[in-house]
Parts: sequence; structure tokens; C-alpha cells
Amino acid sequence: MIEFKNIEINYGNFAAIRNLNLEVKEGEFFTLLGPSGCGKTTTLRSLVGFVTPTSGSIFVKGADITNVPVEKREISMVFQNYALFPTMNVYENIAFGLRVKKMTKKQIDDEVRDIADKVDLNDEQLMKKVSELSGGQQQRVAIARALVLKPSILVMDEPLSNLDASLRVQLRKELKRIQKAFGITTIYVTHDQEEALTLSDRIAVFNKGIVEQAGTPYDIYNYSATEFVCNFIGDINKLAQPVLEKINLQSAKPFDLKKAAYVRTERVHTALKDTGKDFIQLKAKVVDIEYFGLYTKYAFDIDGAVIKNIEKEDGMTIYSIGDELDLYLHSSDIMQF
Amino acid sequence: MNVVDKIKGQLSSKKLIGIIIGIFLTWFIVAFLVYPNLNLLKLTFFADGRLSLEPFQKLLHSSRALKSLLHSVVLAVSLVVTVNIVGIFLVLVTDYFDIRGAKLLRLGYMTTLIYSGIVLVSGYKFIYGDHGVITNFLVQLFPSLDVTWFKGYWAVLFVMTFAVTSNHVIFLSNAIQKVDYQTIESARNMGASTFYILRRVVFPVLKPTIFAVTILLFLTGLGAVSAPIVLGGRDFQTINPMILSFGQSVTSRDMAALLAIILGVFTLLLLTVMRKIEKGGHYVSISKVKSELKKQKINNKLANAIVHAIAYLLFLIYVMPVIIIVLFSFSDSYSITTSTLSWNHFTFDNYAKLFTQASDFKPYLVSIVYSAVSAVIVVILTLVVARILHKYNHKLSTVLEYAMLIPWLLPSTLIALGLIITYDSPKLIILNNVLTGTVWILLIGYVIVQIPFTLRLLRAAFFSIDHSLEDASKNLGAGTFYTLRRVLLPIIFPSIMAVLALNFNGHLADYDLAVFLYHPLFEPLGIVIKNSSTDQVSVDAKAMVFVYSVILMIISSLTLYLVYGRKAK
Repeated sequence: MIEFKNIEINYGNFAAIRNLNLEVKEGEFFTLLGPSGCGKTTTLRSLVGFVTPTSGSIFVKGADITNVPVEKREISMVFQNYALFPTMNVYENIAFGLRVKKMTKKQIDDEVRDIADKVDLNDEQLMKKVSELSGGQQQRVAIARALVLKPSILVMDEPLSNLDASLRVQLRKELKRIQKAFGITTIYVTHDQEEALTLSDRIAVFNKGIVEQAGTPYDIYNYSATEFVCNFIGDINKLAQPVLEKINLQSAKPFDLKKAAYVRTERVHTALKDTGKDFIQLKAKVVDIEYFGLYTKYAFDIDGAVIKNIEKEDGMTIYSIGDELDLYLHSSDIMQF
Repeated sequence: MNVVDKIKGQLSSKKLIGIIIGIFLTWFIVAFLVYPNLNLLKLTFFADGRLSLEPFQKLLHSSRALKSLLHSVVLAVSLVVTVNIVGIFLVLVTDYFDIRGAKLLRLGYMTTLIYSGIVLVSGYKFIYGDHGVITNFLVQLFPSLDVTWFKGYWAVLFVMTFAVTSNHVIFLSNAIQKVDYQTIESARNMGASTFYILRRVVFPVLKPTIFAVTILLFLTGLGAVSAPIVLGGRDFQTINPMILSFGQSVTSRDMAALLAIILGVFTLLLLTVMRKIEKGGHYVSISKVKSELKKQKINNKLANAIVHAIAYLLFLIYVMPVIIIVLFSFSDSYSITTSTLSWNHFTFDNYAKLFTQASDFKPYLVSIVYSAVSAVIVVILTLVVARILHKYNHKLSTVLEYAMLIPWLLPSTLIALGLIITYDSPKLIILNNVLTGTVWILLIGYVIVQIPFTLRLLRAAFFSIDHSLEDASKNLGAGTFYTLRRVLLPIIFPSIMAVLALNFNGHLADYDLAVFLYHPLFEPLGIVIKNSSTDQVSVDAKAMVFVYSVILMIISSLTLYLVYGRKAK
């Protein structure tokens, strides 16, 4: 459906995107994930047409759109701040693109009311000024305005970043519902890993203008391809050399001491019913406790090195600072780069 | 395929419009912003084709010219002192200290905003002048008092001090509102007294603003026109009245030009200093939660009483001319001649005459047409430029911006003189037309002097628009002009209307530029009001000036309310 081929985007001497090659399938919810300044928004804007690649080509359904003007691409965008026109009411905002297309009043009215219904905006809200809407309602207007044009592709640039935490979670579900209902190919930009993992069919993790890994949320999380990806996604422990030496004493397959080794915090266990094969046992002492309600994060000292784990709040496992205990981790959960 | 079709094929309509706009702007900048001023320099120093310092020699031998230069500097320096004293006092009274009736006082102090320039000077002259209300009152107290006491340096300084303090107050008032109240509370918490806090905590925050307004004050003093012309008398003339006087004779035009250039150099130097001060930055509160300034009580009872007394005395000085102008506009010729007020002499005749006699309404009509047409032209012109600056960020747009800001660096006298001297004979750049002595030259002058202010406001309006709105419009399929018409212009529409209103209002009673450029058959209001401020005119003409002034005050008040008042709510 969408193909970025050998895309390079430079701003003067600064390379914003380097040799980008990506494919997005039809109907997919594809997320560009990465820290600020990694090139994810630049990639998105090059697809929409606000940025022209220095070299390379972008294809949509096999057609090269690299030099097609923004207004001719038929790719609708939902902006980070929604970019709703403040001088128009909700109805006029949604109708804007249809008016540009010179549709009849009747057609415009039908289309606007139809899309408003689908995104749960009622007649009263349609006549309101955009400034009178809540953040969530504004987002629905922005989505309606984008979808009413029946684009082949919908792109969203961090559309949840302006909202508070609880509304973000609620609207995440809404976004997923709307995307599935319309079956529209969606490219989504975010720096929030939780958003990316919960929403996406596939994710591309960006770092300094290159794609470090593209894959399903499960693969990205469990089989991180690079040290950057494993550090960026989730909560992780970097294993210090003395700890790795101890692990090597017990592990069937020794780890390379010269390479960085990581294990996710939830894969460090304080108790196991069945230690099973390849579980490594390490003597540790509790040095710090952070209570989060749903879970507790513990920091353990192992011969001067610190390892963290999380324990679900089940009302059973409670440790105190200074407690000595055994930690268990499986050799297959250790990632090396 | 003919040539036109070929060209059409090569140029899209967008490019064609771009080229036409580019050619027009280049012509306008060269013809009206650059060439007249360079020509003035050329005619002054290169009259015979080689560098000549003769105008300097003439200037050094002219005691009138040298005196006017000295008077201007003296006036500017004096004004800096008096306006800062009065201005800071007014701000402290209305915004910082807890003074009874502060809102009413503020309203009184702001009255000079609704009748500035020649209207204000004429108003003050009517009260304090030879047969003025105050003069009559003083003569009753001191029969030996010279009735012509209100003229010369002190009269000019007195009127200008009160005339320009309102602007000073607006700047300082904004600055004082930015003082973080928590810094005052913390100073008090550490044992500091009211006046110690004022000196050590509040004043340092105001210092950059005071510096900036001081420079503007100095420029105002140097460039004074109305006050020295009306009140200066023979012994106290400053640069601009002298330029006007020299400019009227062909033999002394070079002296007028040199004086205008000297004024221009002063302006350039001082504005450069001001830019440096502005670049130095203002103090910004570092508080995460800034708290609003609360008014400070003056605990010392005597000090409190003195401050209240001075505040109300100043209030009287400010409001008296307004009240007297309004009252006398409803008075008959007897009242005006004798400067006495009585119910028996109350009349609506003056107002009736304005709207029934064409000759009385004509100056209004002339000024309204000039102000309205120039305001519209300048807004259209600067809208185009502001959009170019907003859309394109390259060297050419920077050059365009600087070129359009040229009038900001030059005194209006210099601009006027440049236009008069350059376009007094047919010039190819304006298609072999002559402008001097025509009705067009004043219109062009108004357009030129309004450009910098208008451009700064409209540019700021364009740049305050969120970029993503334009992106969104394009993403929804709209082209450049559709986006401009349907998305961008509606957003900046309030700014456009505000600047239109302010420009219209600003030139309605203009005298300073009109005196150089007006057409004798189409005298604008400012000229008529100035001519009526002399004793030689008929009492009917004087009565009409009161009516003109009152209507101007109403228009100004409405404009200011529409632009600022509603925003403040």
C-alpha cells in the first residue's frame, strides 16, 4: 500500500532521515515510534507532502507520489493540536474539505452529518464553536474532518499528546474502534511506547533518522533487534559484568562478557514454584522500594550491582529494605547486543 | 500559438500574480521610500554634482537655525525629565499604590489619548492663553499678570508634558503589571518598607521600559511640531517649525533639508540605542505560579495625603481642557469671546452649523477621506507584504521588510520634504507626473508614515497563526489563495480592523504632516484647527474648532473602545 524507498531527508548538513525503507500494508495501523527529534514526524510529513525528500521515492498503491502536491495526495492528517479552524464552527470545519471539492450543499450536509454520527458528534455539537469543545470532542472533530474526505490513508501526528492521562487511555480505544470500523490504512506517530504497543498492528522504532526495527508490538518488545529498541521499549535492567559472570556459572549457554546484556524487570522473579530448566538463581538484598499501587518496584543489590523487578500487588509478596532473598531469571530472557 | 499564449503556457497564474506583486512593491519602495530620501541628500550635499558643505556653512551662520537646534535639544531633555516624573507618579498612583478613586484618576489621566496633537495644543491655549479661562481667573487674583504669560519654552514644555504622558503611562503600566507580587511579599517578609521595596524591587523591573520610553520621549521632544508652532512664539522655535519655515522658500530649502537630515540622524542614532536596550531584554518572572500585583498601602498618613492631593491636582489639569472644550462647544459667540460660561448662552447652533453648512463640514470631509483612504491602502499594501514575510524566509523577504521599515527610521518632516522636493517636477518613475501641490501627495505621505506601525502589527498577526492551520487547509485540498481567504484572513480579521481604526483615527486631526503636504483648496482638520487657534480668526471659526474637537474626541474614544476596550473586558 505505502512504500518508502531509499528516502533521505536533509536540512542543510543535518540528515533528518537516512536511507529509509518501509512498507505499510493496506488497512494496517502502523506506528512510527521514537524519541523527540528521531525523524518520525519528518517521515510522516514527507508522506503527506509537507516535506520533500532529498532523495528516494514514496509510493502509494504503486504510484510514485514523491512530487505530488499536498492537496492532491488524498492523504488526510490529524494534527498534534488538531489544527481546527478557530473562525469556523464544528460543522464548517468538517465541511471545509468538501467545499474545496465544490460538492453541492446537500451532499456536504449529508456527508458531514453521516461522519459526525460515526464519531459520536451530535447536531448541537456540530453548531458549536471549536473553542467550546473539550479536548476529546476536538479530537473527534479533527478525525471527522479527516475521514469525511474518504482518504485512502489517514495519518495522525501525536493526536493524544495534548490530553490528560485518563482521557488519553479512553480515546486510544476510540481511535482503534474508528480505525477498525473504517478499515483505513493509518500511520500514527507517537513517542509514547504504551500507545504504540496497544494501538498498532506494526511498529517502526526510529532513532537518529534511521529505523532500528519494524515489527509487531510483540516482536518489538520480546525480540528487540537493537540495544536502542530494548532500552526504549519497556523497563529493563542492564546486567553488570559481575552479575553476568555469576549467570555464566549457572547457564547452559554462556553469555559474551564483552557485550551488553539486558533483562526486563518483569522477567526477574523473587519466587518460583518450579525453578525448571535454565533458571538462574542469584542471592540479592532489597535496597529500595517504590510502591505504585498496582505493583511494587524493588531494587536489589547483587555484589554491588543493582537489579530491579516488579511484583504485582497481590497482597502476598511484601519485602522490606534489607531483606535477603533469591532472584530467578531464565537464560532465554536475557538479550545481548 | 501566439506570443501571449506562449507566455501564458510558461507562467502559471500564481507565478504571474507573484511577478506583478513583486514589480509593484519594488516600484513603490523605490519611488516613495528610497528615492525621495536619497534625492533629498543628493540635493543638499551634491547640488552642483559635487560634494558641497555649503548648507552646513549656511546653517552655522543662521542664528535662527542654530537656536532652533538648541531649543529642540533643550525641549527633548526637559521633556525626558518632566514626563518621567509625572508619568512614573501617575503609574504609581493608578497601578501600584492604594489610592482612593484610582479608576477615575486613570480615566482622567488617559484623556489625552482622545485628543492629541493640534487639538490638544489648541485646547490648552484656549484655557491658558491670552483670553483663556485660567488666565482670566489669574488676572482677577493678580491684576498685574501679563495675559500673554502662557507662551515660550515653559508653555511648550507644560503642554507637551501632559500631552505625551498617556503613552508613557501605558508602557509603564504594562511593565508594572508584570512585577511578580510574590517578590514584593518576600521583600516584605524580610522586613523591607513600602518605599524600600519600590526602590529595590519594583523600579529595577521597570528600568528597561523606562529607558526605552525615555528614548521615544527624546525623539518626541526633538520632533515637536504643533506645540512650538502654536505656543512657542518668536523666541522658542524648534527644528520642525524651522524646517517648515525654511521649506517655504526656494532659497532656504537646502537649510530645511539639512535640518531634516540632522533630525533623521538623531532619530537613527536613538532608535539604534533603543534596539540595543530592547535586545538586552526585560526581566521575566521566574515564578512557576506568578501572582497578580496587589496595591500597596502608604502607611505614613502625611505621605498618603500629599500623594492623594498631587494625584487629584494632576487629574484636574488633565480633565479641565476636555470639560472646557465640551462646554464651550455648546456656547454662543459671547461666551467664547469673553471665556465665560452661562446657561443663558447655551446653544446647539455650532453643531447644527457643522451639519448644515458645507464650508464648515468640508475640513471634516477632507480629513475623513484622507484618513480612510490612506488607512485602507496601507492595510492592503502591508497585508501583502506581511503575507510574503510570513510565507517566505529568504534574503529577498528580509530586504523587503527592512525597506518597508524605512519610514520608521525617518522623521515625518524628512519624508515630507523628500516628497515635496523630489516630485516638484515631472519624474519618469511616476510616469512624468508632478506630485507637489496636488491632492495626492498628502495621501502618499499618510500611507508612507503608516507603513511601519501597520506592518509590525499585521506581521505579528500573521506570525501568531498556528502553522498547522495552513498545513491542515492544504491537507484538506485547499490551494494557496483559498487558504488565505478562508482560513488565514478570517483569523487576523480583528487585527486588520483594529489597525484600520487606529490608522484612521491617527490622521483625522493630523497637523504635523499635513502642514507640509496639504492642498490649499482641501484643508484638512488639523490645518483648520491650527489656523483657528490664532486671535485673528472670527469667533464663529473658534466655535467650530470646539465642535470639531468634541467630535474628534468622540470618534477617538469609540475607536479606542472598539480596539482596546472590548479586549480588556
